[in-house]
Amino acid sequence: MEKAKAKILVIDDDPDFRDAITPILHSASYEAITASNPEEGKKKILDEKPDLILLDIMMDSLFDGFSLCHDIKTSKEFKSVQDTPVIFISAVKEVTGSRFQFKGDKEGMEGPDDYIDKPVKADDLLQRIERLLKK
Amino acid sequence: MEENKHSIVIIDDEESMRDSCRMILDKDGFLTETAEDGEKGLSKIKEMKPDIVLIDLKMPGIGGLDVLEKVNDISPDTIPIVITGYATVESAVEAMKKGAYDFLPKPFTPEQLRVIIKRGLEKIRLSREAEALRNEKKLIEENFITMVSHQLRSPLVAIAQYFEVMLSGSVGEMSKQHKDMLSKARNRVNSLLDLINDWLDAARIDKGQLVEKFKPVSLENLLKNQIEFLKPLAEKDDIQLEIETPDIESTIMGDKETLEQAFSNLLNNAIKYNKPNGSVKVSFRENNDNIITDIKDTGIGIKKKHIPHLFNQFYRVNRNQDKKGKGSGLGLSICKKIIEAHSGAIDVSSVPGEGTLFAVSLPKSKEKKTKSFS
Repeated sequence: MEKAKAKILVIDDDPDFRDAITPILHSASYEAITASNPEEGKKKILDEKPDLILLDIMMDSLFDGFSLCHDIKTSKEFKSVQDTPVIFISAVKEVTGSRFQFKGDKEGMEGPDDYIDKPVKADDLLQRIERLLKK
Repeated sequence: MEENKHSIVIIDDEESMRDSCRMILDKDGFLTETAEDGEKGLSKIKEMKPDIVLIDLKMPGIGGLDVLEKVNDISPDTIPIVITGYATVESAVEAMKKGAYDFLPKPFTPEQLRVIIKRGLEKIRLSREAEALRNEKKLIEENFITMVSHQLRSPLVAIAQYFEVMLSGSVGEMSKQHKDMLSKARNRVNSLLDLINDWLDAARIDKGQLVEKFKPVSLENLLKNQIEFLKPLAEKDDIQLEIETPDIESTIMGDKETLEQAFSNLLNNAIKYNKPNGSVKVSFRENNDNIITDIKDTGIGIKKKHIPHLFNQFYRVNRNQDKKGKGSGLGLSICKKIIEAHSGAIDVSSVPGEGTLFAVSLPKSKEKKTKSFS
């Protein structure tokens, strides 16, 4: 098997979403690892040092993806990995016709590098990942 | 008989006082407890969380005022009523300041005690009702809409996601027939997702709380942003999307988020039901105290018989040329609701085969420029 291009961590509490997204990542020769909650996610970020993180906004509590993203970007604990790109994945469209927008930055929260709506289109996801990994 | 008796704690150092109060209140069906000093009283309050506490101001040890101060920390829902033998205006004011709900000067008759207890209970009932209403409202608002949206959408999103993965070929190739069926299944799931979104949007607007969120909104900026956002979609269908901005003040009072939703919907329609190489033109004009936004397309138009029903929920114009799939049937009814929630109006005129004009009229903001009648 060819060597993986990069390691991507998927943090999402929906097992079906994790199962569905993994083959998309594999198809583009990415290594996919998963976590099912923010705690497990934190541990994997530090242990596995992924090259990119796909993060669900709504898990156990309504917006815990926001706070995890903020932690990654700002807290000391994650200093060694704080430049890891984060893509928010959300099933919530607040406004029809326009993309779900991050509003945490108004409250001093660090935002993600990109957003994508669920259900995720394979091409769209891979393009966005590639763009961020090139940076 | 009442299932839950109201509970009352009486704190007084005079035994005769405690006993007589207790007798009266027991007879009236209350659950009463007594304490002969502040300390014992506070621990009773802690333990019972009574509805009402009667506190004698002058007691050895912890005084009544100190007890009063602590009641709110220990049991915030308890209504404290002060009783005292040296009723002065000063002591009454002091007690009220420290959170006493009422004041009963000694000596008092059983009837006076009953009246004051009744008043206290009324206050409890009212604040519980208000609390229940507040909670209910909060629950409906926050949890219901967000959770319904999350709970309804999650399984559908997961299904749609599996379809996407299979259709992308990431898990191996499929026959054309498989693909066709799967993409039909995907489309059906996606339109169900759209329907849920639209339905939830409509439910949110129903609440009529929009007005509280009103702020000055520049229609010109709002529409420019929307057009910027929709450009790629229009270009895909070779449709020209342009905005004409005459030099008029386009600020209105409104809720930006829902206005965006309304205009985005109208613009999306104008693009979707257009002809190849067609155009969508947005412009503004003033009409008395209103700003009118015209959205004019060169699309397939709407027959006259459909126009009166256009803004009804789930009404769909049966279009033969419609290749783009159906919407939820809620889009325009949501638009109308949003515009009307802004005290505006939406008007439509159309020539089949030539195009449609939606005119959205919204009242000008009176905040910036006050109109002079000189």
